Amino acid sequence: MAFDDSGDLKPTPGQRLRSFVQRKDVAQTIVLGILITAFFVILGLYGYPNWMPKVHSKEMHSARLIMTIFTVLSAPIAGFVLSIAVRAFLNMHRGDNPPPDQEVSEKSNTPAILVWCFTTGAFVVAAIAIGLLAYNSDTNSAVADAPNALTVDVTGSQWVWSFYYPAQNIQTHTLELPTGQPVIFNVKSVDVNHSFWPVQLGIKVDANRLVTTTADARPTVLGPIDIRCAELCGLNHAFMETSGAVVTVNDFNNWVNSVKATGGTEQ
Amino acid sequence: MTTLVHQSEISSPAPVPQRSLITKLNIVTGIIVGAIFCWGTYYSLRAGRDMTNEHNINKVLIISMFMWCLGFMIGIGALIGPFRWLIGKDLTPEEELYMSGEGQGMKRYFKFCTDHKVVGIQYLVAVMVLLGAGGTMAMMIRTNLATPGSHLVLPKIYNSLVGLHGITMIIAMIIVLTGPLGNFILPMMIGARGEAFPRLNATSFWLLFTAIPVLCSAWFLGGIPTGWSAYAPLSTQAGPGMNAFLVAIIIFAISTAVAGTNITTTVITMRAKGMRFNRVPVFVIGCTISVALAVPAFPTFMAAMVQTGMDRTISTGFYDAHLGGSGWLYANLFWIMGHPEVYVILLPGVAALLEILPVFTRKPLFSFPMAVAGMAGIAGMSALVWAHHMYMSGWMPALNGPFMVTTEFISFPTGLLFLVFVGTLWRSRPWLKFPMLCVYAMLWNLLIGGITGVYVSDVPLDGTLHGSMFVTAHFHYTIMGAALSGAVGAIAYWFPKLSGRMLNERASYISFWFVQIGLNVLFMGMFLVGAEGQPRRVASYAEQFAGGNFISTLGAYAVGVGMLVFLWAIIHSARRGDIAPANPWGAKTLEWTVPYPAPIENFSEDPIVTSDPYGFGKRVSK
Repeated sequence: MAFDDSGDLKPTPGQRLRSFVQRKDVAQTIVLGILITAFFVILGLYGYPNWMPKVHSKEMHSARLIMTIFTVLSAPIAGFVLSIAVRAFLNMHRGDNPPPDQEVSEKSNTPAILVWCFTTGAFVVAAIAIGLLAYNSDTNSAVADAPNALTVDVTGSQWVWSFYYPAQNIQTHTLELPTGQPVIFNVKSVDVNHSFWPVQLGIKVDANRLVTTTADARPTVLGPIDIRCAELCGLNHAFMETSGAVVTVNDFNNWVNSVKATGGTEQ
Repeated sequence: MTTLVHQSEISSPAPVPQRSLITKLNIVTGIIVGAIFCWGTYYSLRAGRDMTNEHNINKVLIISMFMWCLGFMIGIGALIGPFRWLIGKDLTPEEELYMSGEGQGMKRYFKFCTDHKVVGIQYLVAVMVLLGAGGTMAMMIRTNLATPGSHLVLPKIYNSLVGLHGITMIIAMIIVLTGPLGNFILPMMIGARGEAFPRLNATSFWLLFTAIPVLCSAWFLGGIPTGWSAYAPLSTQAGPGMNAFLVAIIIFAISTAVAGTNITTTVITMRAKGMRFNRVPVFVIGCTISVALAVPAFPTFMAAMVQTGMDRTISTGFYDAHLGGSGWLYANLFWIMGHPEVYVILLPGVAALLEILPVFTRKPLFSFPMAVAGMAGIAGMSALVWAHHMYMSGWMPALNGPFMVTTEFISFPTGLLFLVFVGTLWRSRPWLKFPMLCVYAMLWNLLIGGITGVYVSDVPLDGTLHGSMFVTAHFHYTIMGAALSGAVGAIAYWFPKLSGRMLNERASYISFWFVQIGLNVLFMGMFLVGAEGQPRRVASYAEQFAGGNFISTLGAYAVGVGMLVFLWAIIHSARRGDIAPANPWGAKTLEWTVPYPAPIENFSEDPIVTSDPYGFGKRVSK
């Protein structure tokens, strides 16, 4: 048993914690923290997934999942910061004269600093780990899928997207992809920088002048794709868009044949 | 903070140096000489040149614009000192005193004046003009985006609006605090009688001044199609307006380097006796870290612009793949400046609110060392994260992982700053005044900007968010929501010291709620359409984004109204506001011991510092 300077029994850490959370201001802060945390968790679970584009690929699925995880992970930190701020706000001093100096015991609190550093450090490490794992998974999939991948050469020019399918020897301005088959995009520009963005596939890569860059995707769900330019490329940048779709293998073959029937160039 | 301060007596008018050129030079002579240099160069270089050749046009315009700058600096008297040194003489004491603006009233604000307080006010007016211009362009952008397919402005004008809004606001925000308060208040806060290099200080402001008409001339030369990032090769192929952009950036970079060197040297060498580094006010530390970060960062942007200029005039091909160059070189140079620049803007605003917080909570700043570590950590890390802006560029995909690590790690020192805020707020009873409200605004906005920053630093997630309105919203939450809230709070807090009057409270509160509600509506709308797939910098968009864009535009109008109210509050209060008491907030830093109007050398006797500036709170036993 431990005694303090006056000879009284020292409270145990459990007792100190109980008396701490039972203080009115601390209890209010905790309730506020829980409410704010819940708001951010709901935002992560139900907000972003509904606002983001439909999932037509493994990459888009991964992006939405990471968005949700990051929002939920950051929720307690946001809840902690905002609950203390809101609690102080509700306790505001009003008037034209400064309030009296507050009662304070110290200018710092080492345990509090350590807990904060550990918590935010854990958040940072978790965010880095999740990002690296997802990125590594994408990179590994790209390497593994490369032999079976459909190749599409994408060319950006002010302000048109063109697609060339080397294996099929067709040239188009719309992008059709068969579901279930990985696709590799070889992207370049003939004038200024553009950025190739098939929105529902969840990928993006710049089209650089006379340099080929690559991106890959694994279309998994049937549906339309919006293709936009994400890099300001001059006068009609806003209008540099086209359409596409993830279709069944049969529909893709039929589409290829129909383009070939018109001389290999989409009309 | 214990100090020895003796109020100075009212000084008699300073003697005017007889037959000195200095007395005759001012902004008007600067403009006249600058215009003569500019037009003289323009017409003499045109003669005998094929002006249908775009390289010749670019050469003539770029040289003419630099000559405007040189002519103006000669015309306002900035080069008299260096010229005298060249011929073995320096300015006489009477001329030095005259140059400090002593006893010249309003005229000194239109002259090459070495008084740091005058330079501070000059910067404040320039910042307000730039923010007004940039804000007006933002309103035009948002009005055009209110409905899909709007043709309020042509795409060419729209693209120029986007670029010039961007660069105008970036310039304004870089100097929004280190310009006005870094010059006016900072030397007083450290107990200095002035700044280390007063002539260079005035030079930095007037260089900035010369860059403004150069930048404006872009409108008359066909605008800029590139956005403020000015990516090559679009910038090397752009019309004559691009010359104005690159010359303005080069001049501004020189101005910033000069100002940064001056403030850093001042803080290192001119602190009052007893002001050890752990007694330096946190705002001073934030400003110093900010300008010290800018000193190495901006030369890379300047180098990028010099090379753009060379590509445009003599076909060097730095960024031209046809000639063996690469646009990635530009992107790297730009972002090596571009990401530290975010913190150059953010840190003074955050530091100002850290300065304000103990005063309004009447508590010591929680963990001063963590505040310094947070700011220093952010500054240090910011030099290692630039390529996260280039994940999708195709440049070195192997580096995406390492840059994701460094970028996400910057959340850690940022978290230390949040700790200092909440640690000081913990169980406090803050005084509900306008500057304190700005602390709250900054906390909320930086939290949103910070969390969404983690999203865009993640490579797989950035595949969908990069280049979208989501990034625009994230960036604006950080720069406008956090840094500008900090700047507004700081200007309100030190307004009594700047003007001798109190800022109109009612107008400030009205402005605050309009701006803060407005900007959250504005950028939440942008988050929605960005997450949904709307690219940034587009003059038109698909029907599916109509709702979010309309909401954003309504928010923008609310911000516009709020900013106009704040502008009115500043102008009205400076002229007719209530006379401010010597120390209206009961703060403990040195600047509040200086009377208003401040004497030419601030302190009649050097102050001595014996404690830290945050000695608030009654000590109680645990």
